[in-house]
Amino acid sequence: MAQSDGPDDQAILRRFGFEPDPVIEAYKKDVDRSLLRQNLMRSPDERWANLAAAVRLAEEMRRAGARSRGD
Amino acid sequence: MATDFGGLTSVLADNGVEVIVIGGLAAQAHGSARLTQDADFVYRRSPENMERLATALASYRPYLRGAPPGLPFAFDAETIRRGLNFTLTTTLGDVDFLGEIVGGGKYEDLEPHTSALSVFGREVLVIDLPALIRAKRAAGRPKDLEAIAELEALLAERERI
Repeated sequence: MAQSDGPDDQAILRRFGFEPDPVIEAYKKDVDRSLLRQNLMRSPDERWANLAAAVRLAEEMRRAGARSRGD
Repeated sequence: MATDFGGLTSVLADNGVEVIVIGGLAAQAHGSARLTQDADFVYRRSPENMERLATALASYRPYLRGAPPGLPFAFDAETIRRGLNFTLTTTLGDVDFLGEIVGGGKYEDLEPHTSALSVFGREVLVIDLPALIRAKRAAGRPKDLEAIAELEALLAERERI
């Protein structure tokens, strides 16, 4: 997982009028920034298309799980 | 069922419904890596737009999500006018239409904080990233903490490009 560039993040937040919140900052340590950087290289259209595909896959996995349980 | 995001977006755009994409779908448009199952929109509460919204969804059997079946519910312009926020199930999937959101206000308040993005062949208004963060922070829901952390990281990553 990529590391956060802590102080820069906080400066950027302040530039947008947000005061860094210690609880949110704690959660931020677990954010996988490599995924975000990858997504930022895609267009919004590609991002939604990926989401639609992922949601369809999740739905299919749920159905498969239900079938295996005999639901 | 999986929400048909492309279908929903097209139906709303093709019927001229004035909406702003918010929530997880907006987060995805900005680059979030978190999955979302439903689509959330803030709609303009003008009489014409409420009529357009009702017409657009009419063929997709809109019904109150989680409500017992058989209630005398019709998602028509009058119902929309009398209500404000609707959490619906439709044949295109789950969708929320909100007249107002905490930390963002109504359509008219949010409109200056949107970007027009081209998705699924349609131009849609999407709440911008700082406004989305502001709204999520204002909502103050514990379940949003991870999402806010990701959005703030996203804002920082985007600003560094």
